[in-house]
Amino acid sequence: MDNFLDALSVLILFSSFVLVANKRAKSYIKTFRMQSALIALATGIMGIESFFADGHIDILIVCVLIIALKVIYIPNLLNKTLANVEYKVEKDFFYNIPLLIFICCSITAFCYTCILTIHGINTDVLNMQVVNSIALILIGLFFMISRKKIIGQMVGFLVIENGLFVAAIFSTHGMPFIVDLGIFIDLITAIMIMGIMAFKINEKFDSIDINKLKNLRG
Amino acid sequence: MKNALYVLVQLFVILLLAPLVNGIIKKIKAFSQKRRGAPVLQMYFDLWKLFRKQAVVSETSSWIFKAAPYIVFSTAIIAALLVPVSTLLTPNAFFGDVILLVSLFALGRFFMTLAALDTGGTFGGMGSSREVMISSLIEPSLLVSVFTIGLISKSTTILAMMNTTKNITFPLAQPAFIMVFLALFTIIIAETSRIPVDDPETHLELTMVHEAMILEYSGRHLALIELGAVVKQLVFITLLVNIFIPHDQLIALAGVSGLLLSLLIYVVKVILIAVLMAIAEISTVKLRLFSVPNLAALSFILAFLGFLQYFVLWR
Repeated sequence: MDNFLDALSVLILFSSFVLVANKRAKSYIKTFRMQSALIALATGIMGIESFFADGHIDILIVCVLIIALKVIYIPNLLNKTLANVEYKVEKDFFYNIPLLIFICCSITAFCYTCILTIHGINTDVLNMQVVNSIALILIGLFFMISRKKIIGQMVGFLVIENGLFVAAIFSTHGMPFIVDLGIFIDLITAIMIMGIMAFKINEKFDSIDINKLKNLRG
Repeated sequence: MKNALYVLVQLFVILLLAPLVNGIIKKIKAFSQKRRGAPVLQMYFDLWKLFRKQAVVSETSSWIFKAAPYIVFSTAIIAALLVPVSTLLTPNAFFGDVILLVSLFALGRFFMTLAALDTGGTFGGMGSSREVMISSLIEPSLLVSVFTIGLISKSTTILAMMNTTKNITFPLAQPAFIMVFLALFTIIIAETSRIPVDDPETHLELTMVHEAMILEYSGRHLALIELGAVVKQLVFITLLVNIFIPHDQLIALAGVSGLLLSLLIYVVKVILIAVLMAIAEISTVKLRLFSVPNLAALSFILAFLGFLQYFVLWR
């Protein structure tokens, strides 16, 4: 079973590479949906394990919440925002895609060489799943700064959040339920506010390109 | 004796099965477009027809044009001898390794591009420049992925790799193997000029890569090149299925019946991969030529992540 979780954590990491390789805002959302589905699968496996081990159903509830929120609700919300604000297709990234991917590659190699050698509280727990998740957080951060438009940055934020969640769930095999719930509510609020902000920025500046925020408008 | 039997079985299975794989992929594609499509065995008929026809050779071309089909075909056949279809039957002598395999394909491709340039047609030059670009993008990830498996099995011979994965329970659940598997799958799609990289069925100037290079060929030369291409495709698929989905450890029978059972399972696995390739082909669109580096970078990342996983897991 551990092997399977290992493979899932690597696949989750790889989905962030796919995200970086994407060109269009619509495919960011699609890839985010796929990544969340993989996370829901990993959580579901852990939930079933813990249910049979000691009868807790918290993690299963968290899994259902992930499917409802990150696989269905938030991508739909992002799609709606995109339909409202985006009406021309233009280049969305600063450097070409192979270069971005190789930077992400070196981020991952950095994580593997640095973090894997740290001995944590419980050395069994600080395994490669956690290392993969931390690489995922850093790649989300990098994705955020490599894109010009708001939708890309929102997806980057969501990927960071995914990475934090995955790091938590892989290292603890189930956090307290109330903490997870709090994080989810935070997340929905953040995304809603971001969507409204994107709409407002688009209204004021006629574009969601972040660089144009510096321009004066009289 | 054993060596001769190995060579015979290997040539028989690969030459006979290779056009069928193409037929299956074409049939599934036709079904996805709600057509009936050509029969699964169509490629055998085509090859039979082409082999009986005379080849037309341009007056301005040199010996390279005539030699290239034979070189392409013979490199493909030698490569087919290096990748065993069943690990139950193996030769006694030196077996050749994976670097030789990659370089054989590179040799065939080198002469193919030269021959395309030889006739001086515009399409040939365009096709060969594109082919060289794609192959140089794909080769790093191919080498990284085969070296990863080589590091795990501590040998570069293909037989040793297959024997190593036989001892691992369900290799495709291991993170390193799953990454390298996906990388090799992408590489096969690019190397055999399938849809995200090149469209095998079109003759539109803007998009063709492999077709542009063989545009000047006819008759038995064309047949040799086509057969060489499908043999190359089957060799890659064999490498994929016998390393990542090993089955020979399950066979308890010895002797000829065990070998036949092993070959039967092998054919089933090849058909499975062919179906997967067809699904990959019908669910994507052809990339722009300048988006191919993105795909190549992704496949390199898959191989590289597999390599990193090896350093984590097998340290």
